[in-house]
Amino acid sequence: MGDAVVGVVANPLSGRDIRRLVTQASVFPTAEKANMIQRMLTAFGAVGVHRVLLSTDLGGISAAVFRAIGRRRGHEPRWPEVEFLDGQPIRQTAQDTVDAVRRMVTAGARVIVCLGGDGTARVAASAVGQVPLLALSTGTNNVFPAVREATVAGLAAGLIATGVVPTQGADGVTARAKLLEVRVGDRVETALVDVATSTERHVGARAVWDPATVTQLFCAFAEPDAIGLSAIAGQLMPVARNDPYGVTARLAPDAARQVLAPIAPGLVVPVGVRSIERIEAGPVHHVDARAGVIAVDGERELAFGPGEHPAVRLRADGPWCVDVAAVLAASARLGLLERVRQ
Amino acid sequence: MTDTVERKALTREHLLDVYRTMRTIREFEERVHAEFATGDIPGFVHLYAGEEASAAGVCSNLDERDTIASTHRGHGHCIARGVDVVEMMAEIYGRKTGSCHGKGGSMHIADLSKGMLGANGIVGGGPPLICGTALAAKIKGTGGVSVAFFGDGGSNQGTTLESMNLASVWNLPAVFVAENNGYAETTSSTWSVASDNIADRAAGFGMPGVIVDGFDFFAVHEAAREAVARAREGGGPTLIEMKFTRYFGHFEGDQQTYRADEVARARAELDCLKRFADRVTETGELSVADLDAVDAEVATLIETAVEAAKAAPLPTEADLLTDVYVRY
Repeated sequence: MGDAVVGVVANPLSGRDIRRLVTQASVFPTAEKANMIQRMLTAFGAVGVHRVLLSTDLGGISAAVFRAIGRRRGHEPRWPEVEFLDGQPIRQTAQDTVDAVRRMVTAGARVIVCLGGDGTARVAASAVGQVPLLALSTGTNNVFPAVREATVAGLAAGLIATGVVPTQGADGVTARAKLLEVRVGDRVETALVDVATSTERHVGARAVWDPATVTQLFCAFAEPDAIGLSAIAGQLMPVARNDPYGVTARLAPDAARQVLAPIAPGLVVPVGVRSIERIEAGPVHHVDARAGVIAVDGERELAFGPGEHPAVRLRADGPWCVDVAAVLAASARLGLLERVRQ
Repeated sequence: MTDTVERKALTREHLLDVYRTMRTIREFEERVHAEFATGDIPGFVHLYAGEEASAAGVCSNLDERDTIASTHRGHGHCIARGVDVVEMMAEIYGRKTGSCHGKGGSMHIADLSKGMLGANGIVGGGPPLICGTALAAKIKGTGGVSVAFFGDGGSNQGTTLESMNLASVWNLPAVFVAENNGYAETTSSTWSVASDNIADRAAGFGMPGVIVDGFDFFAVHEAAREAVARAREGGGPTLIEMKFTRYFGHFEGDQQTYRADEVARARAELDCLKRFADRVTETGELSVADLDAVDAEVATLIETAVEAAKAAPLPTEADLLTDVYVRY
């Protein structure tokens, strides 16, 4: 058995939350998630991946792939051996993603592909360590994961797993993402895109869709064409993924400076911005609010009360992320997909 | 997103009401569980314990214009809709003082004066009913919203699917609440529901479908608030799927050989009452003393209900032909 191993984790619950109801967000069917994994398996097989470690779930994704493998037996091109990571309890929470990714890392995965939205990528990123992460969008809010054809993403992940493209260094095809760390007492969460304080009292349905409730925003990066809360800063003070700094803003509905921002799919609203400034990696910023809820990457996660003083810090040592375009460009340069007909 | 409906934070009174509702359902069901074992209760009972946040989270967004249709597991919906608890207990005991004069029992508790169209022994029987009340509300312009609760088993019934189609075609003020507790009697929903998530079926009927943590009152309340507001404003129907676990068997007496230790974990880690109490005391919205006072009040109410039910008379032969026909 070779060591070109890829881990694939898919979140069965991504693309299902209240944003379908409040903002007409898209629905990402289970069948399509399973199809994406099958298209990736074809790509993995084509470039010589030996083994794929696949998360298991109660949402029907792994079951659909399992059935497809049974139907495919003997067909060309061959898919790599797929090992289903079962045998541990499925809790139907984010912990399932963490558990699966940790097992993949321990089992020697050279790259981990995650299927979900910003929330899934955030959770997977917390567990990948130094293993490169390729986040593919199958969720609602997709700033961090790429909206890409799974076959091409599968080729990129496969080329990394087989070790034929350099991941780090001058020609490296991965880049280290920034991340935002939030500490509330002894609770710690990380965000890959943005951290927001909300005046809501409860985590509730998690999503943030009412801009009037958001009072403060921290972004690791803010692209002008983003969707979600980072779009607010993206229009006023854009920050690229590879800039060494981030941006923070204080928001108030009655502020003189207003920006129209797509803060969630299907929602373009005026947002009042009282101040906006750059933040550097390292220093700790305490949030202004005495009580409320902290949202990470657009989802309410941590409720806090007086005396807890949540602290936010931009860090430069986020996950190593696969640049799919760079992998395929390297492949073109090195002729990795060229074959000579015998 | 709609702006015309007020979305204020829950007040202290509102939170106390919600806690009282959920605690009443829990105590009611735990007590029926204990009393059923003595053999005094006739017929079948299907208990709602564990699912309280769904009934309370949905019904706390409804008012006197609205109607709900329930299931065979209907006690929680009845209580959340304000049906008299003493009369409910008497009904379960088959007594003349019951909500339906002791002739319906657990699976047929109804109170039209409370907008409660009835628990329902027919799996998938509720959704067609609410299409009727929703159509009436639409034609009369009352602003009323109709809600159908059904289970993962009910979600596979043609009646439920036809109702969702009709509600969408007629743009009815309706909310479909799929209470997915994991098992239709003893059959796992991961096997029997072909679409994996019940909420996914909404797309086929042109309505939004969302999945909610059914153990979390605040998550349920927010999703239901938006769905009810959308329906009230003419936006049409919504499908909400609650994911959770029932604490007791399908019916009392079920040996539950089809499931392992998930109930113990749910009670310890996910329980809706515990989570609600932790949250509101952490934020300071309610105190432990507030909650204890409600607990004591509810314990007294349930004790009173059981004593009254046991002491109440059974229907007689003379009652056999009453309440059978209705003059329109």
